[in-house]
Amino acid sequence: MARNSKAERREGRAGRIRSLFGAAGLATTLVLAGSLSARAGEVTVGQSTSLSGSIAQLGITGQRGITMALDKINAEGGLLGQKVRLVVADDGMTPANGTTNVRQMILSDHIKALFGPVSSAVGAAEETLAAQYRIPYFLFTSNDVRMTTQVFTPYAFQVVPNTVMEPRAVARYLAELVGKKPITLAIITPNYSFGRDSADSFVAALRAYGVDVKVLTQQFPKLGETDYTPYIPPLVAAHADYVFVGQYGGDLITFTKQALGFGLFKVSTVVGQYGRQVLTALAGQVPAGTIAFDRAPYWAMEGEGVKRFTEAYHTRYHEWPSAWAILGYTAVETWAAGVKKAGDFDGDKLVAALSGTTVETIRGPITLRACDHQGNVAEYVGRVSREVDPRYGQQIYTDVKAIPGEETMLTCEEAQKLQPRH
Amino acid sequence: MTQRAYGGGISMVGVGIAALLLVAAPWVVPTSWLLVLENVLVLALFATATNLLVGWTGLVSFGQAAFYGIGAYTVALAWLHGIAPFSLAFVAAPLIAGLIALFTGAIALRARKLYFALLTLAFSELFYVLAEQLYDITNGANGIFGAMVPALLISPRIGFYFTLAVVMVALLLLYRIGHSPFGLALQAIRERRVRAEALGLAVSHHELAAFTLSGAFCGLAGALYVVHDQTAYPELLNWVKSGEPVIVAVIGGISSFAGPLWGALFYQIAHDALVALTRDWQMALGALLLLVVLFRPGGLVSLLGGREER
Amino acid sequence: MNFASVAIEVLSALTAAANLFIIAAGLSLVFGALRIINLAHGSFYMIGALLMASLFALGRPEILFWPALVLAPLLMAGFGAILERLLFRRIYHAEHLVQLLLSYALSLMLADLALRIWGADTRSVPTPAALAGVLVVGGASFPLYNLFVITLSLAVGLGLWVLLRHTRFGWEIRAAVEDAEGLSLCGRNVPALFTAVFALGAFLAALGGAAVAPLQAIGPGMDSAILVSAFIVAVIGGLGSIAGAALGAAIIGFFQAVGTLWLPTWAPAFIFLAMIMVLVIRPSGLLGAAQRAWAEED
Repeated sequence: MARNSKAERREGRAGRIRSLFGAAGLATTLVLAGSLSARAGEVTVGQSTSLSGSIAQLGITGQRGITMALDKINAEGGLLGQKVRLVVADDGMTPANGTTNVRQMILSDHIKALFGPVSSAVGAAEETLAAQYRIPYFLFTSNDVRMTTQVFTPYAFQVVPNTVMEPRAVARYLAELVGKKPITLAIITPNYSFGRDSADSFVAALRAYGVDVKVLTQQFPKLGETDYTPYIPPLVAAHADYVFVGQYGGDLITFTKQALGFGLFKVSTVVGQYGRQVLTALAGQVPAGTIAFDRAPYWAMEGEGVKRFTEAYHTRYHEWPSAWAILGYTAVETWAAGVKKAGDFDGDKLVAALSGTTVETIRGPITLRACDHQGNVAEYVGRVSREVDPRYGQQIYTDVKAIPGEETMLTCEEAQKLQPRH
Repeated sequence: MTQRAYGGGISMVGVGIAALLLVAAPWVVPTSWLLVLENVLVLALFATATNLLVGWTGLVSFGQAAFYGIGAYTVALAWLHGIAPFSLAFVAAPLIAGLIALFTGAIALRARKLYFALLTLAFSELFYVLAEQLYDITNGANGIFGAMVPALLISPRIGFYFTLAVVMVALLLLYRIGHSPFGLALQAIRERRVRAEALGLAVSHHELAAFTLSGAFCGLAGALYVVHDQTAYPELLNWVKSGEPVIVAVIGGISSFAGPLWGALFYQIAHDALVALTRDWQMALGALLLLVVLFRPGGLVSLLGGREER
Repeated sequence: MNFASVAIEVLSALTAAANLFIIAAGLSLVFGALRIINLAHGSFYMIGALLMASLFALGRPEILFWPALVLAPLLMAGFGAILERLLFRRIYHAEHLVQLLLSYALSLMLADLALRIWGADTRSVPTPAALAGVLVVGGASFPLYNLFVITLSLAVGLGLWVLLRHTRFGWEIRAAVEDAEGLSLCGRNVPALFTAVFALGAFLAALGGAAVAPLQAIGPGMDSAILVSAFIVAVIGGLGSIAGAALGAAIIGFFQAVGTLWLPTWAPAFIFLAMIMVLVIRPSGLLGAAQRAWAEED
């Protein structure tokens, strides 16, 4: 009996404590919400990207580019008299985290612009959300063409060569190299839409440029595969003239190391996205003459702007900038130019001001087409050098060509046909 | 001491205040926190449904994300392939998830304890790779996104009330189940499986029923997730996602009905705040979980003075 | 399909199996002796590879490979011993749920710690010159380094067999598994023994990581990528059985290497189906001790 009544008393007390706890939780919530919102004389912009996990390197260096661009803007007195503050969050590569972060940023931090993530799946989910709240959205690493076509919203701008432009640029380079000679091709790409689209549009573009190409074998290992040994022997056995590799980042490093062991580079010329990170990690092991492409290789880009940025980045972070850093920087420049032109941070005014306009960036002028908001950014294609460059500590490109965006983009009619009707 | 009905730790005062706060929330808190609360509600349902197995029946499942994901994919695929309107897909989601749980459970329950946990984990991963590999049906690793939910539900307040209503009804049902003779039988199984069997209780039927019910409610939570985020992708089904409701339940306290609810509130707010405040949020979350497991095995509820039932 | 391509496929499957075996053996050993499931085992593997990369950065690769291959796992073993003393020791008698969550929490923390220490950059370790060549099989070439990994795993298997069956340490471990209290009454230091077993498990995970370092990009995400595969191998073979880990590794290695080529869409699903079938038909795994599994009954 006594025991029961004691239990009842405890129950009652516990109930009160619980209610208090609930109230305190809500109060904390409100205080947190208040403290995070914008301060006077300051505007906020946001980026949710992958800062942990296997593609963190892309997310972190991209964010450094954004930070450097904003620091420069603030050092020069800000935008329209306002300092710009960046809020960041990690999406852990999942769309749910991305959308949660972005909602927080839009609703609590009142961001005026959003910069895109690494993963296209996350990017597409965020694009819909950004448009719902009329927030301009700048994509500079994830480059799925769907974001300017099937899921296009007027608030999104893409300042990176998309999944149609990139393989077309490489195809053009190869077409010039081989001329009328028929060639054979083997393909290996990761098993998701980026990989499959790249492979399809590479082959289609080669044919469109008049190359007589025969595809001998095609492999689709999963994204993030760590063991390519089953896939490489069939590629070697095919004895194709060229092997198109759609893997990037860590996957490309793993693939290259394992393919070197099987002698793939001896029987075929490999075509792959050998950028700053991959070439640095592989420390001179990529066979000379391999056809390489990158969206913004600092060592091959012309112009004072990008050279100054490269030096400043190296001074600050003690490494050379990845393409993602350069692209992140230009994404901020694009937004800032739009704000200046519109004379306002408002999403709709900015979209109207930027659409169809040309902005100056460290990589030169970028025109954002009115029909799909795709920037006419160049893709760089070259051949991997024999030696490690003594200054940069990595192999660089020889015979490099910048393929202009105009020559590889979908036409406006093609893009608009794919866009949802608004 | 007599067997108490499962689901202690709920006081009527507390429930009343919580309900009042939640109904008033859309008119009091900023929209952003409404969306956080919506996440909390979905997670609370997911964790409570999982706790029907973990805490009530003593079956530790690391595979409930399979049913959560199946619920989400039911709504998303119905939209993607134009099979059924949203309302029908939403109602079908828990039924399909429950049906698949029935088949899965019939196999998984042949193993016990750790081996049961590993089997459910294997099922979770199996459904995950299927969602990822069946590219032509599911869009593979890209996932499905788009306007799969009626425009009305996208408005924050209406969306919140819809989620609140569904979660409240589901929690009430789960609470009733916990207090029914069936719920008591589950508890008896948790406490003394062999004895329950000896007393003539159809233990395996009860366990299978619990597994099926849990799967159905997890599927409902998954369908609600789609209402909230309008996307479905393979990682919703993998073992890491399966671990989430278990972690939430343990943080809150698995031995009371209210535990997973407190766990969900605490976990979601801590998670969001940590992600916003620090890049090392995984470290902080890991440390938090570690401390709870080591020093507060009864969970948050035990901190609040709630009774532990073992 | 000619002889050469079959031979190459078999060797590919064996490479995959060899690496999985080294890692799964550690997981299985720790479970067999300590009855705990360690979800941080994948983190130990990643840290092994990262330590290898750091040791390499100290000087000339051709000299450093062999010492680094031993030193990186030894460092991880030391770290493992500390973790056992601080954390795992507290949960030997706890429920599996507690063990799973504690080690999962640890894996989250180690992932962030590794990101802090080593950064997000993907690294690469060069193949030592002596193993950089190729073996030519009927006109097709196969990397020597892969053969080295296969040999290493055989050596690990043999070493574990000798250790567990023919040394005092091994006898004590087996005795502790049967009756820890009795062993302690005989005046043996059981806690120290358990620390040693846990450290050995960590050593094997890190050795697996260090051994694949020249074959892979090293960086964040390696931990979760390996964990599930290692688990499947250990479970199929029978948790606690080293020979089982070898058999499980061979089966999964075959599925991963050959299955993915023939049935790319279904092969990953088959791996989980295999695990489900084994758990249903023979929960203790193909070579696990049956009575052990049923001792899990309450």
